[in-house]
Amino acid sequence: MTRRKLKDVASVIRSKNAGPLLLTLDVILPDQAAFDQVVAAGVLAPARMAELYRVSHNEVSVIPYAQALAIKITLPRRHRSGGPSDSDVYGAQQHVPLFDLKI
Amino acid sequence: MRLMACSGMIGYGFTEVGLRRGLEMGVRMIGCDAGSMDPGPYYLGTATPFVSETATRRDLGLMLRGAREFDVPMIIGSAGGGGSDAQLAWTVSLIEDLARQHGLSFKMAIIKAEPARAYLNRHVTAGRTAPLGPIEELTTDTVDRAARIVAMMGVEPLQNALNAGADVIIAGRCSDAAIYAALPLMHGHDAGLAWHLGKIIECGAQVIEPRAGQDCIIGTLNDDGFHVEPGHPDKICTKTRVAAHTLYENPSPHELKEPSGVLDSSHCTFTQVDPRTVHVTGSRFKPTEAYTVKLEGVRRAGFRSIFIAGVRDPVLTAGFADFAAACEARTRDQARSLKIDDDAYTVAFRTYGAGAVMGDREFAALNLAPTELCIIGEVIADDEATSRAVLAKARYALLHTDFDGRLCISGNLAFPFSPSDISVGEVFDFSIWHTLELDDPLEPFPVTYQEITS
Repeated sequence: MTRRKLKDVASVIRSKNAGPLLLTLDVILPDQAAFDQVVAAGVLAPARMAELYRVSHNEVSVIPYAQALAIKITLPRRHRSGGPSDSDVYGAQQHVPLFDLKI
Repeated sequence: MRLMACSGMIGYGFTEVGLRRGLEMGVRMIGCDAGSMDPGPYYLGTATPFVSETATRRDLGLMLRGAREFDVPMIIGSAGGGGSDAQLAWTVSLIEDLARQHGLSFKMAIIKAEPARAYLNRHVTAGRTAPLGPIEELTTDTVDRAARIVAMMGVEPLQNALNAGADVIIAGRCSDAAIYAALPLMHGHDAGLAWHLGKIIECGAQVIEPRAGQDCIIGTLNDDGFHVEPGHPDKICTKTRVAAHTLYENPSPHELKEPSGVLDSSHCTFTQVDPRTVHVTGSRFKPTEAYTVKLEGVRRAGFRSIFIAGVRDPVLTAGFADFAAACEARTRDQARSLKIDDDAYTVAFRTYGAGAVMGDREFAALNLAPTELCIIGEVIADDEATSRAVLAKARYALLHTDFDGRLCISGNLAFPFSPSDISVGEVFDFSIWHTLELDDPLEPFPVTYQEITS
């Protein structure tokens, strides 16, 4: 059996600023089974996220929020929001690296 | 106690049906947040709104007439977008104008949120500021160099104005949730529920389906929790959306920092009580020993001008990065001939179609020979004239520099527009994102009252 990709399972994969210094990624699953599976598989482990977003693993927090069947990942932005070198003021298009993670 | 948020943002709109229904259901106050730092530092830097005056007038006018007709307080937080003194004054002038136009009389409180530099520096020196995330410690030098700095008030300045009998409160930079938590906390409601209710309704229709524009949302506090429902009878709130909103734009799903403590939503339950209403319980508020407000400040980084151009030649799209580096060197030579030093500006060629969105975080293998590329040539210098002078040299370099295999010797770029060069405006950078510890929650937020009689 081929392992499914996160984008085929999740109902939401979004990114957004959490203030001008941090980027926050929310993965929301459609049901408890999918949520449990993604959490258990550890695909969104801090070390994994650090590698994917090229930051140090101690700069990443990964927190499941069971009430919303969601997993929240927060890490530093590449540049401060809207500053001279920024390329995504709202941080809204930084979610795609999560799509193809195998669960 | 029932409260209503009219929209996620003044100027984003709401339906008159939703507003009227909420008022008729007996809401005890109506409010709206007018601010956000999401659109970036420019708006605070220039003290300008990011919504139109036409839309702001429409929303404020409907709220003001509704609030006066039903005699309930109206609270606007983070006036004008950034909540600075100039943006506050702009909002107050619109309110005065609308009051005259509609013949309304009321007592208005105006609460400022742009503390003096000397006041801030005293607190910096006393070690009462701290970084709020990955940013350097605050120094008096950073304070002095900032273009504008605001402090984000909590509930206390709003409660002070409500106690003084204000009918309309126009506040500078303000915690979004505080707009709605202020009144229930005055009446002894549970702090966890009051703050969580405020957090959920402050973004308006984010928790409403269908998502077709902004609209009013009503929160009702009761003994064990609170209800959230849309103002508009044809819209619904779902448990999924309400629960997911607790996560929104917040670094942690469990904890939301407010001046007097932390909202802990880790033990919450969300229940769908009817097709359009969600009940929330279990929110807790953990008071902190220190009372801290957030400081937001920006520094000016220069003036930006750009050109936008397409590249279609396959030899050039395949080797664009090296070509751009050569053109940057040529631009710098040309700028020196204008007596413009290298360190007086930055030049960049943002290459859309080749990793411009994610930069060094791009994980996918880029297409090495894209059919076409979009180039944004960009120069930031201290002033507009210098920025445009260097940009013109950069444009010429990109348009007319030779490359190996070049057949298109009359020009390398497809400009979509004439004029090609665009003055974008001033560029700012967030330089202050810190907490400020206060002895008195009212101190940096002076209030004035105005009797409006029409």
